[in-house]
Amino acid sequence: MKKRWINYIIAFFIIITLNFVIPRLLPGDPLSAIYGDEVLLNLSDEATDYINKLYGLDKPVIARYFIYVFSIFRGNFGYSIYHKKPVLEILISHLPYTLILTGLSMLLASISGAILGIESGWRRGKKIDRFILSSIIFISGFPAFFTGAIFLIIFGIILGILPFQGAVEAYSGFSGFNLAVDFLKHLVLPLFSLVIVYIPTAYLLTRNSMISSLKEPYILFARAKGLTDTRIRYRHAGRNSLIPLTTQMGIHLATGLITGALFIEIVYSYPGMGTLIYNSILNRDYPVLQGSLFMVTLLVLIVNFFMDIFYVKLDPRIEYAY
Amino acid sequence: MHISVKKNLKKDKSALAGLVMLSLLVLIALAAPLFTKDPRAFSNLILSKPDINHILGTNDLGQDIFSRLFYGLRTSIFISIAAGALSTFLSVIIGIFSGLTGGIIDQIIMRIIDAMLVIPSIIILILISAFIKPDLIGLIILISIFHWQGGARIIRGQTLSLKQKGHIYSATTFGAKKAYILARHIIPDLGNIITASFLHNARSAVFLEAGIAFIGISAADTISLGTMMNRALEFYYLPVWAWWLLPAGIMLSLILISLTLLNNLIEKIIDPRLHDA
Repeated sequence: MKKRWINYIIAFFIIITLNFVIPRLLPGDPLSAIYGDEVLLNLSDEATDYINKLYGLDKPVIARYFIYVFSIFRGNFGYSIYHKKPVLEILISHLPYTLILTGLSMLLASISGAILGIESGWRRGKKIDRFILSSIIFISGFPAFFTGAIFLIIFGIILGILPFQGAVEAYSGFSGFNLAVDFLKHLVLPLFSLVIVYIPTAYLLTRNSMISSLKEPYILFARAKGLTDTRIRYRHAGRNSLIPLTTQMGIHLATGLITGALFIEIVYSYPGMGTLIYNSILNRDYPVLQGSLFMVTLLVLIVNFFMDIFYVKLDPRIEYAY
Repeated sequence: MHISVKKNLKKDKSALAGLVMLSLLVLIALAAPLFTKDPRAFSNLILSKPDINHILGTNDLGQDIFSRLFYGLRTSIFISIAAGALSTFLSVIIGIFSGLTGGIIDQIIMRIIDAMLVIPSIIILILISAFIKPDLIGLIILISIFHWQGGARIIRGQTLSLKQKGHIYSATTFGAKKAYILARHIIPDLGNIITASFLHNARSAVFLEAGIAFIGISAADTISLGTMMNRALEFYYLPVWAWWLLPAGIMLSLILISLTLLNNLIEKIIDPRLHDA
């Protein structure tokens, strides 16, 4: 366990370092970007030195790197050029939407994937199992943004029954109950798309482990005791098949779900981190872009880390594997 | 580990379907210039409906969507093969090197791999691409730099276990050199794992390229299915999705599905527990 701590710390510093290094690899220096080359040429040496000192550009790169790291730890991600606000404020206003979207879809995708997996593994080789398996493999080939786009076209455009832009109707003046209903309506399509994107992972994990659990002697014993099929399916085989789901979902989901959510958000202009990243690229708002990418990585690292701890508790066999 | 892929392929219909689909897509991609027009040519005819001249209509710049669809396919196929090969090459080299060297170097390499595996690679790719807007070759290199870790980890593990095996030990007693053992015994035994890693990386590369293009940060002259989908989605209030968005999305999904089907077969071969699944 101790070793894995280090992975997260190294990963954390890799992302901070990339955030620091990449913008500085680009041609041009910060002063000419702020003041323009012509002004710089006409400045006296003292004035240039003064400006350099003002922005901390007189310090060596290493010192600037440490200043950068410390300010990130203090939650200072810089200032947005486009929104004219501190980056942290913008991040905090967008983060809840992504958390709601990913949290809910993780829950729904795990439950429905597990049920499908248990039922399909129980009926292994039968027609219905083959049908579910092949359609899920087919769905898993769709990239998240295409799945999102298909639902947008079907339910938003052709049927026109659900809103597909943003998180609430703009300028509607809704409040209280109406606002909540409006919010939920806007949530349906992005949520549904994301659930569809992540059911395959949950389903395949559960089905595979269901198939191997069904071969265990305790299933035969349960049958010998005369237990009902449903009881064996869910209590005995199903329950044991959920271990790989919980253990691996953490890793699959933290990475897959959050990045998937970014794309789905862009499709539906849902105001979470994905849309923030998309818009900051459009607006060339680099401080916000860096801040939001950092925030997303941090989110993934935190979820992964807790999943790591959680699943050792859930299945003690895992600890011995390391 | 010497299991015939061919024999398994005959038994597994879905993998066979994947192989046929992928071969067809590659052939179509190669033949694209024969049946398409210049995909970059502009015209005054913008957002036109499908007709005989433009089978799938034109986009907002008056470019022929049908031609761009197949050039987008070419981009995807090219990037999947190139990035798949390059990242797998890195996996093999680094994995075997790490496994054979052992000691502190192995420890350091593994630490770096484990740390990089917990960071979602797409985030780093978005970060870097947003600043440098890489062209196709640049993107292939970038994707490969962030996609060799998983394969390298598995290959290192396999190399470690192969090192202990009797046939390799006996080869050393005959005085076989390291390079000889590597070429004759280790790499052939890793065949299936290398193929799996190639297919997996090829699939990720297709997805990443399209995803990055969808976010709008690929180089301007790259024709990409992801860009097509993003542009088409902007005109959601027009019926253009039917001949602009859907074909691009379906094309992309076909590539991804065919690679997934093939990958499932190889994974089944590697992991015998999945055999009768």
